[in-house]
Amino acid sequence: MTTDTTDADGTSGQSAVGADGDADADVPGRIAEQFENIKRTRRRRALGWVGLAVFLAFTTLQAFAATELLDPDARLETFTDSLTGFFPITNYFGVVPFLDVGRYVRFIRQQNLLYDPEIGGLLFQFPPNPTDVYVFFFQELGIFQIFGEAGITLAMGFVGTVLGFPFAIIFGTLGSERVTPFPFNFIFRGTMSFIRAIPAIIWTLIFIPFLGLGPSSAAIAIAFDTIGNLGRLFVDELEEIEDGPIEAMRTTGASKPQIVFFGMLSQVRTAFIAWTLYIFEINVRIGVTVGVIGAGGLGYVLTSQQNLLRFTNMMATLLAIFLLIISVELFSQRLRSRLRSDDVEMSIWELITGFPRRMAESMMR
Amino acid sequence: MSYIEVDGLTKRFGDTVALDDVSFEVPAGEFVIVLGVSGSGKSTLLRTLSGLLSPTDGEILIDGEPMTGPRPEVAMIFQQHNIIGDMTAYSNSLSGGVHRSGFLSSVLQLQDPEEKHRALDALDTVGLLDEAEQKARSMSGGQQQRVGIARALVQQPEILLADEPVASLDPGSAQSVMGYLRTASEDRDLTTFCSLHQVNIARKFGHRFIGLREGKKVFDGYRDELTIDAIDEIYGDIDTEGMFVRGDDDNDAGTDEIATP
Repeated sequence: MTTDTTDADGTSGQSAVGADGDADADVPGRIAEQFENIKRTRRRRALGWVGLAVFLAFTTLQAFAATELLDPDARLETFTDSLTGFFPITNYFGVVPFLDVGRYVRFIRQQNLLYDPEIGGLLFQFPPNPTDVYVFFFQELGIFQIFGEAGITLAMGFVGTVLGFPFAIIFGTLGSERVTPFPFNFIFRGTMSFIRAIPAIIWTLIFIPFLGLGPSSAAIAIAFDTIGNLGRLFVDELEEIEDGPIEAMRTTGASKPQIVFFGMLSQVRTAFIAWTLYIFEINVRIGVTVGVIGAGGLGYVLTSQQNLLRFTNMMATLLAIFLLIISVELFSQRLRSRLRSDDVEMSIWELITGFPRRMAESMMR
Repeated sequence: MSYIEVDGLTKRFGDTVALDDVSFEVPAGEFVIVLGVSGSGKSTLLRTLSGLLSPTDGEILIDGEPMTGPRPEVAMIFQQHNIIGDMTAYSNSLSGGVHRSGFLSSVLQLQDPEEKHRALDALDTVGLLDEAEQKARSMSGGQQQRVGIARALVQQPEILLADEPVASLDPGSAQSVMGYLRTASEDRDLTTFCSLHQVNIARKFGHRFIGLREGKKVFDGYRDELTIDAIDEIYGDIDTEGMFVRGDDDNDAGTDEIATP
């Protein structure tokens, strides 16, 4: 097929030259020259790619050696054993093998991974008891605790975001070169870089002597992490703004803080809220990670079941984590897309009552 | 009542001379139009007058005081509106007067009712009272520019500078914005400086004209002195034929758009 085309091209090229005669004899020469040039360039580029591939392969080999993957201590049997633990099989009606979801559900209920019936019972009873509802909201403070272990993880991410946000605004704004002249803005940027250099899980270790090993030190650690990460996003966002509104505020004779607020921050308000929601998503995930070192919540349940080698329970916890993260992401992404869109905002009432219709419309597409 | 005195004003950006020894005096209450092609120094002149740029040489005296930086008595309107899209027309208008209030009260919009009435009054002046609660981003170009004028008025200036306020608008909106600008400046006794490149609109709205060409002042005079020859002088060798119609140019000639270089 390929040879055919080349042949045809070659013939037509020759016949064209022949037809044109000797008057344009210099054209094929120039074309041939350019053709040679392109060929040479392509050959050089191909050599470059080959060299790069060889280099990458060589480096990867070294990295494999460093990670002991060249001579791994693989124990396939143990792994398959654990897999049957992760995915317990039961025989339905004695014959049909099926995943025993019931064991997951049992563990999730037994350990209150997603719902704490003791606190939830205050709210959900028939007929509703006003005293219990009061106790739920104002004495037990149960809005997060009703979700059991998942609620603790969620609350760590939430507290971290709320506490970190104001500092992120201050550090992010003061770290912008337009607000604080170079090099003084690097005091703030440097502080944020330092905070970012240390992962949240290490910050938790640092706060353990202060608040003990538990959700409180985790929440403070996440707040610290938020200052570094969210503040950095704010700085970047402030680099993008237009000069016009800043100049306009200057000509009104506004004070420096007023110029910063009206000329700069009001341009990025929506972006800031969207970034904060994004960081909230990440913070809930960090809440799981810091739980693993013992700070409580779903992460802690996961690691304690792993220590007991109860893989079925571990898998059940993973499912709970999956549910939590997916719900937080869905919520935050819906909110962000609503913020970013220029459409008229839907009221909460319309959001709830119109849901079935909108869902149906999306399904029909 | 403010009195503007510009003496030997020169502004250089590196090797480029944007303004070259420009001098003039403007008594209070005049509506001055600055004419010239793109790059002739109109914007630089207005930005220097507003205090956004400092002159390389020469001096600007406003009310006897040298202009060293932006000050509340001098308000500016920009070609790109430069209002804040995320805020309502009312909030934008109110933000013109923040220099009279502290940081917190301006951020939380806790100004006196008097201040808030002033913002609404300014919106009324530019015909946008009913649209006060609309987001600026959702407004048309002409409306946004009128919000810009309202903000400048809330500043309670004595001098109003307008840098090509209608350059990015269609002819109809341009007429209406210029109309609101002139009404506002007459009602409030403001000295107004407006740079334009449309000669028809300039003739329709201006009292006095200052022509700039390559940074030099080439014309300074009142409406009857702005002849075809004068316009030739400002715009150079371009074909000025048909640029303005003799006789009725003050009334309806302005509706014709003019090709600008």
